[in-house]
Amino acid sequence: HIAEDTSDLLQHVKFQSSNFENILTWDGRPESAPDAVYSVQYKTYGEGEWLEKEGCQRITRKSCNLTVETGNLTELYYARVTATDGTGRSATKTTDRFNSLQHTIIKPPDVTCIPKVRSIQMIVHPSYTPIRARNGHQLTLENIFQGLLYRLKLRINHTYQMDLEGKQREFEFVGLTPDTEFLGTIMICIPNLFKESAPYVCQVKTLPDRTWT
Amino acid sequence: DGAAVLPAPQNLSVRSVNMKHVLTWSPVIVPEEIIHYSVEYQGEYESLYMSHIWIPSSWCSPTQRPECDITEDITATVSYSLRVRATLGSLTSAWSTLKHRFNQNSTILTPPRMEITMDGFHLLIKLEDLGPHFEFFVSYWRKEPGAKEHVKVVRPGVLPVYLEMVEPGAAYCVKARTFVKAIGRHSAFSQPECVKVQGEALPL
Amino acid sequence: QEFQFGPCRVEGVVLQKLWQAFWAVKDIVQAQDNITSVQLLRKEVLQNVPETESCHLIHALLRFYVNTVFKSYRDKAVEFGILKSFSILANNFFVIVSKLQASQEKMFSTRKTARRRFLLFHRAFKQLDREAAVTKAFGEMDILLSWMEKFYQL
Repeated sequence: HIAEDTSDLLQHVKFQSSNFENILTWDGRPESAPDAVYSVQYKTYGEGEWLEKEGCQRITRKSCNLTVETGNLTELYYARVTATDGTGRSATKTTDRFNSLQHTIIKPPDVTCIPKVRSIQMIVHPSYTPIRARNGHQLTLENIFQGLLYRLKLRINHTYQMDLEGKQREFEFVGLTPDTEFLGTIMICIPNLFKESAPYVCQVKTLPDRTWT
Repeated sequence: DGAAVLPAPQNLSVRSVNMKHVLTWSPVIVPEEIIHYSVEYQGEYESLYMSHIWIPSSWCSPTQRPECDITEDITATVSYSLRVRATLGSLTSAWSTLKHRFNQNSTILTPPRMEITMDGFHLLIKLEDLGPHFEFFVSYWRKEPGAKEHVKVVRPGVLPVYLEMVEPGAAYCVKARTFVKAIGRHSAFSQPECVKVQGEALPL
Repeated sequence: QEFQFGPCRVEGVVLQKLWQAFWAVKDIVQAQDNITSVQLLRKEVLQNVPETESCHLIHALLRFYVNTVFKSYRDKAVEFGILKSFSILANNFFVIVSKLQASQEKMFSTRKTARRRFLLFHRAFKQLDREAAVTKAFGEMDILLSWMEKFYQL
């Protein structure tokens, strides 16, 4: 009996995670199996049972949100997808072992840049995640990562830069020239886990100095 | 057995400055022939627990030059054994092993090169980028009796970095040293560099 | 940058390097572990460890990794072509064990409870086929690194 090759039904089953939103995605060649349906299961590493993900049984789309099911930061998980086409052919593929604390990508922070005459203030807003504490409060990235800090750069007409860094959320670059353009970049850094977000960028101009007019 | 024997490389030594480690040896000379060399290493763990296993160097297996940058191969503060052999076609020399094992905590840390400039009333410093191992501690002060010395950890980058707002007519001095986390050692401070700020000193 | 396991202090190990080394080989190594229903380093071993016990526990675990897991996983490391990452992890674990050796000997009071946690891990290890247990232990190094990270100060 020669096992039928069903690899075309299902490929690249993996988690895509950013700020702890954990989405399971996969591919399948539509031309070979236009009528394929997909069913998702998940399990905690170290436990025996595979559990069916409600809402992702016999679906036609190629993604499934497993944020809640894989939300325990200290656990590791597996997920698997079974694809079945109209002729009854099927294939099952499992993800690599997944832990959101290690795998999640950090999104750029949300920042308000406030220009003044001789300074620019930058206020970093909390980055909320879908993770909830026992008391139901939504956790921010700061709550989750103890070592989290913000790294700010202000570039002055491509000749030099000012650096600020810290765990607080309010920063101010001072001693600037009035009525001048500056480029600010702000990143979230988690040094221990070697994680860094893409930068939030703000182009801003200091206010004109009207004191003597 | 008259088979030609290729001499093994001699005079192995490691030159390590600012956590950049280079293994060198005397070249094997065979007139009008190109000799290749292969470098392998063992950490303390391998020497103790798996002494028959050697790991090929990242950049020099093989190489034609009588030296090898082993910086990326030295990844722990333990002592490393290193060996080299020469190859010419099918001929291969015996291995030559470094006499004294190498530990990265013996690296020479030099005071960092720096460039002090001004932009308006902003005091700026440009530091050479020595790689991820290094932190830079920069001290700066106003050149007058009893002046307070400020210390800042600076991350080197492509552009000069702002240190301080300065006052017209005053003079300021800067010095810097490096710190390497992996071996817990500082370099010496660089020679202080002083600059005078343009303009009239502000009335008191 | 150092580890502070209760009274035991360890300098000269850069945690990010260990993470980098393990992440480079994680999927290759964990894919060899088909027993997804068993976790050696489970909650009862590593959760809610008092600081005072952390030194004993990490010393026992890392000594086991250095003397048993790495030693037994050596040929697989050669087979999978992951000797470089293997060497980074093995030599840095070796540094930590060597530095912990002196300080943890002085503390007798907390040894028993830390020992009990280690034995939970060791018993689970012994219940598996030897090769499967070594592969599983090597693949669970991220669980160990995540726990060690709590004791790491920049």
